[in-house]
Amino acid sequence: MAKDNELLLMVGTAKGLFILRGNKGKWSIDGPHFAGRAVYSAFLDQRKRRNEMWAGPVSWHFGAELSKSTDMGKTWDEPENRRIKMPKTTKKSLENIWQIAPGGNDDSLYVGVAPAAVFESHDRGETWSLNKGLWNHPHRKKWTPGFGGLAVHTIVTDKKNPNDIKIALSTGGVYQTSDGGENWRVTNTGVKAYFLPNQFPEFGQCVHKIARHPRKKNTYFLQNHHGVYRSRDGAVTWQEIEHGLPSNFGFGLTVSDSGSVFIVPLDSDGKRYTVDGKLRVYRSRDDGTSWQAMTKGLPQKNAYEVVLRDAVDSAGNNIFFGTKNGKLFASGDDGDSWKLIEGSLPEICAVKAYTFS
Amino acid sequence: MAITIYLSGHLKTFTGGDTEVALDSSFSSVGAVLNSLWKLHPALRDRILNDQGEIRQHVNIFLGSDDVRRLDGLRTAVDANEIHIFNAVSGG
Repeated sequence: MAKDNELLLMVGTAKGLFILRGNKGKWSIDGPHFAGRAVYSAFLDQRKRRNEMWAGPVSWHFGAELSKSTDMGKTWDEPENRRIKMPKTTKKSLENIWQIAPGGNDDSLYVGVAPAAVFESHDRGETWSLNKGLWNHPHRKKWTPGFGGLAVHTIVTDKKNPNDIKIALSTGGVYQTSDGGENWRVTNTGVKAYFLPNQFPEFGQCVHKIARHPRKKNTYFLQNHHGVYRSRDGAVTWQEIEHGLPSNFGFGLTVSDSGSVFIVPLDSDGKRYTVDGKLRVYRSRDDGTSWQAMTKGLPQKNAYEVVLRDAVDSAGNNIFFGTKNGKLFASGDDGDSWKLIEGSLPEICAVKAYTFS
Repeated sequence: MAITIYLSGHLKTFTGGDTEVALDSSFSSVGAVLNSLWKLHPALRDRILNDQGEIRQHVNIFLGSDDVRRLDGLRTAVDANEIHIFNAVSGG
């Protein structure tokens, strides 16, 4: 388990990126970087000890870009010619960057964006290209945007099998490739789309987040737009794991090193705030068969909070989440108890947690 | 006809601090003016135009006092000596 003095958080908010460092239970904060711009994606690339930070700030006026820092966030570049742009042939423009993920190979990076697309780099971010296999997928013309646009917001890669990549997009659902992105197949079996006449379509689900178990290579978890699921076959077929939850609606999901699954249920897509005004993190230590409410240190009265899809993360058995009301919470004991780190940040869009030395 | 481009202060990060750029030449269209502006300050292009080369939705470009969207966009003929580039008032 990581110690406090080895923790680093990249917290993307509606008004910029904050970088926090934890030291024996005390936290320092630096930011906002990209002041005034929303940051939905961030990533610290620690592979090969390179310690390069990436972020995807978006100005609603001047557009989104992929920015890099080689000095641990002190300064960020903004290339004259932006790294990621939709090719002319797509007749689209980049709207937002939702996910920055390491590839299975140490020099590979993947970025998920709106409009629903994946960009890839295989030279540690020097050059980028649109993944054409996904862009040309025949389902594309039937995917439909949600409130945040039509976006690939989740990318799960596999260090042991670099050609295996799983993504989630809203609305479309889960897709995956086994050949490095040449071909993508849809894998939503069992996942419900209650908002469609056919509630179990091949695709069209609004999957909010997927995550893999740290040791069980074929076990995945999924937070859906109403529905919490588990897969035992590599994110191909899905089974409901909602027993014991106060609601099956929510956005974020993370799995700690211990294998504990964490979600923050919200009261339906009509209300979209914590059930009964209680901020409760639900933890499962048996792959979703049962859930326990974690409340110690969390407000249980008049707490109408929303936790967005990338605003929950873990590093070791340290769990973190941020809310749209700008509260940032931490647990150093696999969710047993929680502390407020910051209480008045801008709306928190993303929390990325790392052990760091 | 020489023309002066006045930029939103939000863009001075990409111009070395300048918010005024004077171009001493004749231009057939607003797009031609901007192409010359990009040569001086290349980073402005991706911030003012989207990936398809169109004016970003929340950026407004005025030729004199007229919003070029209500004229002929980037093809608007230049008949004034000032261009203003603002971020729109949209936001949250």
